[in-house]
Amino acid sequence: MSVEALLVALLFIAAFGTVLGGVPVAFALGGAAVWLAAGASFFGLFDLSTFSAVPSRLFGTAMFNEVLTAVPLFIMMGVIMERSRVAEDLLTNMARVARRIPGGLGISVTLVGALLAASTGIVGATVVAMGLLSLPTMLKHGYRPSLAAGSICASGTLGQIIPPSIVLVFLGDQLSGAYLEAQREVGNFSPDPVSVGDLFAGAMLPGIGLACLYMFYQFIIGILRPQDCPPIEDEPGDVITTSEIILALIPPIVLIVAVLGAILAGVATPTEAAGVGATGALLLAGLRLSKEQDAKALNRLIGASVMAAFSLPVLRSVADLRMTLEVVTQWNMICFAIALFASLMLTIGIGAAFLAILRAGSLDQIVMSTMRVSTLAFAILIGATIFSLIFKSFGGDDVVTGVMEQIPGGELGALIAVSLLIFVLGFFLDFIEIVFIIMPIVAPVILQSDINPIWFGVLIAMNLQTSFLTPPFGFALFYLRGVAPPEVKTSDIYRGVLPFIGIQIAAFILVFCFPVLATWLPSVIYR
Amino acid sequence: MVLQAIERVNRGLGRVAAYCAIVMMLAQVFSVVARYVFSFGIISVQETVIYGHALIFLLGAALVLQENGHVRVDVFYEGLSERTRRFVDLAALLFFVLPVACVVLWYSWPYVARSWSTLEGSRQSGGLPAVFLLKSAILVFAVSLILQVIATTARITKGESWEQER
Repeated sequence: MSVEALLVALLFIAAFGTVLGGVPVAFALGGAAVWLAAGASFFGLFDLSTFSAVPSRLFGTAMFNEVLTAVPLFIMMGVIMERSRVAEDLLTNMARVARRIPGGLGISVTLVGALLAASTGIVGATVVAMGLLSLPTMLKHGYRPSLAAGSICASGTLGQIIPPSIVLVFLGDQLSGAYLEAQREVGNFSPDPVSVGDLFAGAMLPGIGLACLYMFYQFIIGILRPQDCPPIEDEPGDVITTSEIILALIPPIVLIVAVLGAILAGVATPTEAAGVGATGALLLAGLRLSKEQDAKALNRLIGASVMAAFSLPVLRSVADLRMTLEVVTQWNMICFAIALFASLMLTIGIGAAFLAILRAGSLDQIVMSTMRVSTLAFAILIGATIFSLIFKSFGGDDVVTGVMEQIPGGELGALIAVSLLIFVLGFFLDFIEIVFIIMPIVAPVILQSDINPIWFGVLIAMNLQTSFLTPPFGFALFYLRGVAPPEVKTSDIYRGVLPFIGIQIAAFILVFCFPVLATWLPSVIYR
Repeated sequence: MVLQAIERVNRGLGRVAAYCAIVMMLAQVFSVVARYVFSFGIISVQETVIYGHALIFLLGAALVLQENGHVRVDVFYEGLSERTRRFVDLAALLFFVLPVACVVLWYSWPYVARSWSTLEGSRQSGGLPAVFLLKSAILVFAVSLILQVIATTARITKGESWEQER
C-alpha cells in the first residue's frame, strides 16, 4: 500500500469514526482533516501551507456562491409555511377533500409531503412535522398503525427528490463543479454545463412518478382492505363547503407551482424563485394570521398586495416598462404608472404581513429557525470543504480512481458500486453530509465517462431516499419513532415502510434502466 | 461573568444572523421586481443577497454550537452513559471544534489582512465596496466559535448540561 493510500484510508477512518462517535459532523470532518494533516506534516509528508487555501475555498464555495443563496431562502419559505400553520391547513383541507376516496387520508399526506418539498432538506424535519400532524389524525380515524407509519415515513422523505428541495440545490451545485472538472480531465474543455435547474427538471418526472406510485398503492389498499384505512366520516358541525376548502387549498399550491414553474421554464434562477417563494409564503402567512387576529385592515392590505403582485407580470407582458425608452407612448406611460403603484402596494402588503406575523409573536421564531437550519447545513459544507482540500492534497483522487478501476464491469460496475456505498452511508449520514463528502470524491471520476450527470444525480437522490427508509437504520424511521405514540410499535413502523421500499426499488430500477426518464425533461426544456 | 458575556455576545450575533435572512429576502424580491418588471438590475442589491446569505451561517455558527444544535449522528451516542457522553462532548469541543476554528483563524488572518490592505471591493462595477468586511466575517466566525468552545467547556466541566436546541 502506498503512503498516499494509507493517508487517505486513515483520513476516512478518522472522519467516519468520529462522526459515528457522536462528534458534530461539521467539526468531525474538519477536525479529522486537521489532525491527519498535522500528523503527516510531522513525518514530512504534507505541507501545512496547503491550509492557506482554506479561506479562499470557504469564500468561493460557501459564501460568495450565488446558486447556494437559494438555500436559506427556500428554508425560510418552508419555515414560514410551517410556523404560520399554512402547511397544517393544507394537510387538513386536503384530507377533507380526499375523505371519500379510498385511502384518502394517506393520499393527502403523500400530496402534502410532495408539495412541501422546499422545506424538505433535513430528513428529520419533515418526518417529524408530518408525524406530529397526521399520525394522530390517522390513528384516530382507525388507520392501521403500520400503514399510517409507513406512509408518513415515505411521504416525509419524498419531498427530497421533488424540486425545489434544498438538497437538490446542493447536489446540483456539486454536480456542476464535478462535471466540469471531470470533463476537463478527459480533454473536453467545453462540456454543456449542468445547472441546478437541469437537475430540478431531471428529478421532476421520477419525483412525480414516485408520488403517483405511492398514492396508487394507498388507493389500492383502500379498495382491497378498507378496514386498514377507513374513509373519514362527516363530522357533525363540520359544515365547511367545498368551495371554501378549495379556496384554502389553492393559494399555497399556486405559490409552490409558480416557484417551480418559473425555475423549470428557465424564466428565473432558483435563487430568484426562492426569494419570491419566501415572500409569497410571508404574504400567505400574513393573510392567515391577520384573519385570525380579526385585523381586517391588515388582511385587506395583504390581499390587495397579492393582487398587485399578480398584476405585475401581466403589465410586463402588455407594455414595455423599461425606464430607458426613447419614445414613450401614452399606453406605456399608463402601464408604467400602474406598475409603480402595484409595486408600492406590494411593498405595503409585505410590511403588513410582517406586522401580522410580529403581532402573532412568531417573527422571531421564524428567523431563528431559518438561521439554525441554514447554519447547520453550511457548517457541514465548511467542514467538508476543509476535508476535501486535505483529501485532494493527500492524492485522494488518484487513490479513488485506482480503486474504481479495480471494480469489474467498467463504468456501469463503478456506478453500481458507488450506489451501494451511498445506500449504506445513508444509514448513518444525512443527505447533505453525503452530498458534500462523497460527491467531490466520486463524481469527478464517475463523470469522466459518458454517464449523464443529471441521470447520475437523480439516481443518487432516489438511492438516498430509499436508504433513509430502510430498516433498521433508516433515518426517517428513527425520527418517526421519536414522535410516535407508544401504541405504534417499532415493528409496525418497520413493516409499514416495506411496501414503500418495494416501490422505491422498482422506481430506482426503472430510472436505472431507462435514463431517459431523468434526461428527457431537461432536454426538451432547455434546448 | 466572562462566560456569560461570551454567551450573550454569541446570542446577539446569532440574532443578527437570523435577521439577515429577512434582509436577504427583501433584497431578492426587490431585485426580481426590478429586473423582470422594470428591466433594470442593480448589482449592489444582488450582492446584498449574497452578503446576507454568508452572514447567516458565519455569525450564526457559534449560537448553534451554544445550543448544541449542530448535526450529530447519535446511533451510538444515544446509548452511552451520562459520564461517557460528557467525555465525548468535551473531546468534540476541544479536539475538533477548537482546532478547526483555530486553523480557520490562523490561515484566514493573512487572507483578510490582504483584503483590508486594498479595502477590497466588488469585482463588478456598481457592486458593494465591502468585500473586505464580508471576508472579515470569517474571522468573526472563527473567534466566536473559539470563545463558545471555552464557555461550553466551562459549563460541562461545572456539571451543567450542554444546552439543547431551543
